[in-house]
Amino acid sequence: MKKAISKALAAGLAIAMTLSIAACGSAKPSDSSSSTGAAPSSTAADSSAPAGEPVKLTLWHIQTTEPMPTIIKDSMDRFTKDNPNYTVEVSPMQNDAFKTKIAIAASSDQMPDIFPHWSGGPMNTYIDSQKIADLTTYMGENNYKDRFLPAAVNQATYKDKIWAVPVENIAVAMFFYNKDLFAKFNLQVPKTITELEAVCDTLKKNGIIPFSLANKTQWTGSMYYMYLVDRFGGAEAFNAAAQRTGSFENEAFTQAGNKIQEWVKKDYFNKGFNGLDEDSGQSRTLLYSEKAAMTLMGSWFLSTAAGENKEFTEKKIGSFAFPAADGGKGDPNSVVGTVGDNFYSVAANSKDVAGAFKAITYLIDDTAVQKRVEAGRVPPVKGVKVSDPLLQDVLNAVEKAPSVQLWYDQYLPADVAQVHKDTSQAIFGLAKTPEDVNKEMEAAAKKAFGK
Amino acid sequence: MTRKKISIGKTFVAILALAWLVIAGAPFYFMVASAFKEQFEILTTGVFALPKGIYFDNFAGVIKSQFYKYLMNSTFVVAVSLVLILVTALCAAYPFSRFRFKFNKPLFGLVVAAMAVPIHVTLIPVFQLTQKIHLYDTIFALIGPYTAFNLPISVFILTSFMAEIPKELEESAEIDGCGKYRTFFHIIAPLSKPGLATLAIYNAVNMWNEFSFALVLTQSAKSRTLPLSIWEFQGQYNSNIPMIMAVLTLCALPMIVAFAIGQDKLIKGMMAGAVKG
Amino acid sequence: MQNTKSLLSYRKRSTAIAATVFLIPVFFFILVFILYPIFNSFWLSLHDWNGISSNKAFSGLDNWKTLVTDVVFYKSFLNNILIVILSIAIQLPIAMALAFLLDSGGKKLNFLKMVYFLPMLMSSVAVGFLFKYTYDPQFGLISAVSTMLGGEGMVDLLGNPKIAIYAVIMVICWQFIPFYMVYFLAALSSLPVEIYEASVIDGATHGQYFWRVALPCMKGSIKSAAVLSLVGSLKYFDLIYVMTQGGPNGATELMATYMYKNAFQTMKMGYGSTVASGMFIVITLISLLTLRALNGKEEA
Repeated sequence: MKKAISKALAAGLAIAMTLSIAACGSAKPSDSSSSTGAAPSSTAADSSAPAGEPVKLTLWHIQTTEPMPTIIKDSMDRFTKDNPNYTVEVSPMQNDAFKTKIAIAASSDQMPDIFPHWSGGPMNTYIDSQKIADLTTYMGENNYKDRFLPAAVNQATYKDKIWAVPVENIAVAMFFYNKDLFAKFNLQVPKTITELEAVCDTLKKNGIIPFSLANKTQWTGSMYYMYLVDRFGGAEAFNAAAQRTGSFENEAFTQAGNKIQEWVKKDYFNKGFNGLDEDSGQSRTLLYSEKAAMTLMGSWFLSTAAGENKEFTEKKIGSFAFPAADGGKGDPNSVVGTVGDNFYSVAANSKDVAGAFKAITYLIDDTAVQKRVEAGRVPPVKGVKVSDPLLQDVLNAVEKAPSVQLWYDQYLPADVAQVHKDTSQAIFGLAKTPEDVNKEMEAAAKKAFGK
Repeated sequence: MTRKKISIGKTFVAILALAWLVIAGAPFYFMVASAFKEQFEILTTGVFALPKGIYFDNFAGVIKSQFYKYLMNSTFVVAVSLVLILVTALCAAYPFSRFRFKFNKPLFGLVVAAMAVPIHVTLIPVFQLTQKIHLYDTIFALIGPYTAFNLPISVFILTSFMAEIPKELEESAEIDGCGKYRTFFHIIAPLSKPGLATLAIYNAVNMWNEFSFALVLTQSAKSRTLPLSIWEFQGQYNSNIPMIMAVLTLCALPMIVAFAIGQDKLIKGMMAGAVKG
Repeated sequence: MQNTKSLLSYRKRSTAIAATVFLIPVFFFILVFILYPIFNSFWLSLHDWNGISSNKAFSGLDNWKTLVTDVVFYKSFLNNILIVILSIAIQLPIAMALAFLLDSGGKKLNFLKMVYFLPMLMSSVAVGFLFKYTYDPQFGLISAVSTMLGGEGMVDLLGNPKIAIYAVIMVICWQFIPFYMVYFLAALSSLPVEIYEASVIDGATHGQYFWRVALPCMKGSIKSAAVLSLVGSLKYFDLIYVMTQGGPNGATELMATYMYKNAFQTMKMGYGSTVASGMFIVITLISLLTLRALNGKEEA
């Protein structure tokens, strides 16, 4: 028995030693030859390895559905081929697993060189804790940042500096609906909330569930809430509340909450939605079986549904923007979603920030963009052409949008985001009144921001 | 009167036996049947329908990934930890159940208290410790935590098991001139076999399915265990349920086989214990 | 006199030495992987820390003050207690009945035992998946059964805050009954055969043997099983995390899931550690009190 332990220890030590020797090789101070004239961050300036010395980079990502892992792997292969002194260890992991793991890695300064996030509140926490390297100079070189949609770069900006590269996908929430069912009952795509309610009533009368929703996941119901707040109170309502120039007790939030509860009481949603899981497809099943006619979902719905049920998606699915509120302050063209979805950052304590940044540029080079488009995604770079008409609708919606509201649960600091998710689910469950929810949100925001 | 009572009891037991057969078997059916379905099929025909045809691509896909490597890793970790747990628990249960010494109760209390520790509390300290002793991202990193976290319950079970071994056996051994150590090896340890068998199964299954430590303490594919491969198949926005079920089936298979084989040994162990006792 | 005394003290000392030798390995593991992390966790509970930043701000007892007035923590605790009560009340009797059935059936029932044990062999991820579909109001098994029996179908279990916790507890019971079944089976099998033979000679039936002879003999095992179930239920995490994540509206929140949420999802590592430590204190107290109560009765 003892032998087994000592053997294990010996083996472990041996591995550890090889690793630390490898690490020594690249840990020497560099003769910062890169063109960082006015380096804003000291960590970024002196952390590029001299050319020719072998450097090992680690990359974590959460793209576990093919072909995404392959696209990322290929990108890194191109990078190491062009820069033979680099090796990249790529670790894909599942979303939830990643969240736990990155938190633990960050707490003990063992972060991977390159890792993804969703920008917003959590990114800002990383920045405030000095865990992410400032990429402003690198993004500025040869106007590299102009490659991306301005809204995407905005999303990666905090305190006037750029901290991340938008890579994966433009994803905005839209209504996806069954065109056949709409035709069968002579329904038109609604332009206003009143028209939407008329559509719902007709569907209900004919035994069809208007909206399919799986809200155990919470962010799914939040989409209805975010859009209603936007349509009633304009983009200003939430921005003011989140930046603490306004309040979550603004009447737009109350109106949105009341509208949702009205819809729940009228049975516009499928039964038991608060217990259903979006991630296991429990809402899509209702659409596929034609028991439900519409769903409000992020535009990744298209690739997901095409993967699960190609024929159905191509023949029957259409999309429309969230309708306008009659007399509301919001612009019916503004959208809720994300321009980038996964942003990649470099850890502040990376041995080679410049090299890591270079690696990231390969994640979103022309070949990678092309492959992402082929995989049904809309990378956040300018001039993307897509062939899928449904996807083109999404792109059009983003291009004409005066504002893109990032998902609340990604925009807000993590603890406030949790309160939002819990309380919006409570609104749907008729467990709390909108007024109470607003008070709770306001209290959480006050606590988090100190004002 | 009495006879009627018994037959009621018997019917009840029979109904329970049948009901439990269905209740326990249904998920297994679900798991295996789904694994043979195409992704779209499960969403439309319903979860409990029979597969349209035998569709092997899921299994092929799983096996093509590094399934074998994960399997070996899992087997190694579980085997080493299991031996450590059983030996350590056997040693510990002996004094707790048979000796009278000053700190028996408080020390046993400490072990019971250790059962109460939720593993997520220890993730960060254990992670840091693992790095300090340079075991991070090796499968050896898992052996320590796996052993430690399954020990308290094992000691607890084994102690109560040993307490029920009749004192007379031990006393007669002592009269024969056996010391504490010889009594332990010749009397107590062999008589504890049925208890150990239960523990072996319980702990093996637990560790086989363990997820949190494996997630945090290993990183690269070379040191991953089977449960992590399950999560590798779960996408960010969609999940291919039949594929996951194929993984789950393949993961559970070794445990089921082991139980089917071990069950016989388990019974023999029990019989031995029962006859000698 | 002198002689016996020294003999006694010699025996005492040798017992102490033997106990030390036998106990060293177990305490090595507990010390390194359990006690040290617990102290670490208590230490973190005195800090305001987001889990990421390198500097942790010492905040004294602030987190503990918050915990004492935290409504969610109380609610979680009560949910844990509910699991404890229902687990013991449901799991142990069924497990005992199944164990007795298997024991009296002997080897013929090996296949049955195999199937009975299956739930235990599946990982929580698999079980979670399975029951998400079983409970689906539209397509699930429960709704189908309800329609078959003439109900209106569409039974909403996990989405209804009043029912969700019971729905999950049923799954927990399902998962753990096999364990207690095997546990009791081992205990039943190790009862001396003579006891059974004697009671058969006395003309007792199977049922009578069970109630009058076997059950009283298994008091110890039943007690241990109850304690195991108690402790396991108090720190339960897996299925809640997979199936409901504490929802809807916190209806199924448990101490462990609440701790996990704080520590890893909302970046409040300091407070998460406080919840963990509080949970540790609560569980330890309850288990020690229970053990004392059980053992006290035994000695009386």
